[in-house]
Amino acid sequence: MTNARTLSEYLRMKCFAFALAGLLWSGVSHAGDWPIYRGPHHDGNTRERGWSTDWPKSGPRQLWKANVGIGFSSVSVSDGRVCTMGNSEDKDLVVCFDAVTGKELWAHEYEAALDTKYYEGGPGSTPTFDGDRVYSLGKHGDLFCFNAKSGKVLWNVQLEKQAGMRMSTWGYSGAPYPYGDKLLLNVGSAGMALDKKTGKLIWKSGDAEAGYSTPYPYKSDGKQMFAFSSEHGYVGVDPDTGKEAWKIAWNTRYGVNASDPIIVGEQIFISSGYSKGSGLFKLGTKKPDEIWRARRYRNQFNCSVLIDGHLYGFDGDSNSRAKLKCVNWETGEDVWEDGIGFGSLFAAGKTLFVLSPKGELMVGQASTKGFKPSARAKVIGGKCWTVPVLANGLLYCRNADGDLVCLDLRAKK
Amino acid sequence: MKTTRRSFLKTSALASTAFGATPLIAAPGKKFRTAVIGSGWWGMNILRDAISVGRTKVVGLADCYERPLNASADEVEGLTGDKPRKYKDYTEMLRKERPEIVIIATPDHWHALPAIDSLEAGAHVFLEKPTAHTIVESRAIVKAAQAADRVVQVGLHRRIGPHHVSGMEFLKSGKVGDIGMVRMFVTGGGSIEKPTPNATPPDGMDWDLWCGPAPKRPYNRRLAPGGWRNFLDYANGTLGDWGVHWLDQVLWWSDEKYPKSVFSTGGRPVRGDVVASEKECTSDAPDTQIATYEFESFTATWEHRKYAGPGAEPHRYGCYFYGSKGVFHMGWRDGWTFYPSSRRGQKVHVDPDFDNEKDGHNIPPLWRDFIDAIDNKRAPVAEIEASHRSSVLPMLGMMSYKLGRSIQWDGAKEQVVGDAEASKMLRRDYRKPWTYPV
Repeated sequence: MTNARTLSEYLRMKCFAFALAGLLWSGVSHAGDWPIYRGPHHDGNTRERGWSTDWPKSGPRQLWKANVGIGFSSVSVSDGRVCTMGNSEDKDLVVCFDAVTGKELWAHEYEAALDTKYYEGGPGSTPTFDGDRVYSLGKHGDLFCFNAKSGKVLWNVQLEKQAGMRMSTWGYSGAPYPYGDKLLLNVGSAGMALDKKTGKLIWKSGDAEAGYSTPYPYKSDGKQMFAFSSEHGYVGVDPDTGKEAWKIAWNTRYGVNASDPIIVGEQIFISSGYSKGSGLFKLGTKKPDEIWRARRYRNQFNCSVLIDGHLYGFDGDSNSRAKLKCVNWETGEDVWEDGIGFGSLFAAGKTLFVLSPKGELMVGQASTKGFKPSARAKVIGGKCWTVPVLANGLLYCRNADGDLVCLDLRAKK
Repeated sequence: MKTTRRSFLKTSALASTAFGATPLIAAPGKKFRTAVIGSGWWGMNILRDAISVGRTKVVGLADCYERPLNASADEVEGLTGDKPRKYKDYTEMLRKERPEIVIIATPDHWHALPAIDSLEAGAHVFLEKPTAHTIVESRAIVKAAQAADRVVQVGLHRRIGPHHVSGMEFLKSGKVGDIGMVRMFVTGGGSIEKPTPNATPPDGMDWDLWCGPAPKRPYNRRLAPGGWRNFLDYANGTLGDWGVHWLDQVLWWSDEKYPKSVFSTGGRPVRGDVVASEKECTSDAPDTQIATYEFESFTATWEHRKYAGPGAEPHRYGCYFYGSKGVFHMGWRDGWTFYPSSRRGQKVHVDPDFDNEKDGHNIPPLWRDFIDAIDNKRAPVAEIEASHRSSVLPMLGMMSYKLGRSIQWDGAKEQVVGDAEASKMLRRDYRKPWTYPV
């Protein structure tokens, strides 16, 4: 532990800089919610328009900040609430704030080792909103279902102990995915499904280390399917039965397949770090055929976004000279690269929001001609590996130490 | 393959000038059929640099863990187009692939047998440091190399790293004066170690084979992949890892070949008690260790602590040579520095120049020297006899640490004087079916 403050002290540090926000700015639109990692469309691209980068030289106005403990959990936003996770003094914290004021609405703590292994440790998965519920998954397999309003624990399961699942080296990191009456988790060789009302097991897959991606929905002949990653590769699964439809062997040095796949029609894009690179495959058979392989485009864990036939994302491992790249979806060829470092990004339509590893926010058009930010500002310090989130005009950025800032990007009426 | 120290000193200086400036282009000349035993992180670091030198065709990779084996084979294909065959059992690979060069990057307890088997199969060997885990098996590698008349280069890249070469020239120029004492050290950060539960080995890892000739312990992720250096069944702690580089610098500088006595003490005041139960374990290497090597004309000490950071020291690691004209520090990322004892004297400093900035090492010139030694039938800069002598020093230190008393050493005969218990520790019984090499 680098910081001996207790969690409650952390939370008291929040600063309520902007109490009257709602009166001065346009109202909150729930259409801009971001209830799950990578957003409602699972593509890291928000459809909302009511934001502006017309900020002063000093940067966008910070509405509030908090410290949520060490970790790499991103945030989810739903119905005026924002939820994330962290770890302090070997306890995980799941915390929910008022999205605009930063007022802490509820928090839940439980025993969980920080578990540093070549990094700061703490949780890597992002909680998921599902109507009036929130699901959270700790790195050791502590799964909780909360009432989103009160924070009351509705049920919880310890996957490693109770369900006999084996933790992957850096812990479970995929966000829980509510599907019908089920909760899908990236646990085991090809996912796992629990009853989302009770936490009871519906199906589970083989005993292998899970990958670190979030269950990714896609349709095949009209049927809803999901793609999971494991230490051995990526696999397509029928969520009703757990039956595997296809499998792509995708070995990496440390068994880390962490970024979510991108599926468009019959094509799936996958990418990993550790010198592995990317591949585009054609779905439709049990062993999908490779269309191309690009060894020089390696998404270690932060995902790419796909805009107008081009992928934008980060190439390289956290300890390397990582670059922002634009890659042609059809061919896998590099279009350009920009040495920003090991950052993360999401898109708002055709605009890229890029956060550098040192907390500089850069906003610019997604273009095959290069990345020319039209706005930039240092918005947070420390080490930033976690992808920020824009929801209802508010931007949430966090760092490894658990500092979380909310920035006001709402367009003036 | 016998070489005097002077001749490889010359070789080293030659190598650094002849090859130091060679750009990374594919060199003309024969490509050697190359295989790797232990194709994990470090094995691949060596292989990538070997590939960059351009004289390598990768024919086989062996590892008892499928995950890095598959990843490495895939990476080699991407780098070269070669499709190396994958093996769990390196002896099968040696039989089927008949490699001309074998790179060995396994943990210390798995050095001697692969090295000897590779030499007997007719291959030249690039062997990771230290040469072995116990003294007699290290000597057995030297004998096998001489019998096979093959080149062995040990991964002591500090014999060719530019600032080490220029620093050694400075040391030997007399500018430091008469040197009476050498102090080697490394510092670090650290705190109490909590036991980690033993577990099922990862998918695709043959744990029995990983333990091999060494004692078989319950699988624990603190141990593999990665943490074995701090488990004394498989390695010799920080003294065997970092210490061997600095002890090698001392032997490189000195005209002496071995110490006459060794004493070491230490413990785990910060990391805490050793735990090794059926349920869980901690590492067992010391977090604090001091070793004294008494040579005929000088005394060298080693010290490490894995906590507290550098404190008041200007350097975090390296080797101080204390001379009548000042203090010379041979470092790593901090290059080398001479601090004159006279107030009017000039401080002299040289920065390092790494081929690999990230990991801070010089494997490519070491590999080029290895290939040139094969081409020209000469001894490489880190040839096996000298590297064996350097590797024996941490082994002696760890023997004294375990025994709690000093060891009188007859270096010419490689025997402990007057201590039967210590003599037994020069070797150890292998777990069946493996046989200890002599």
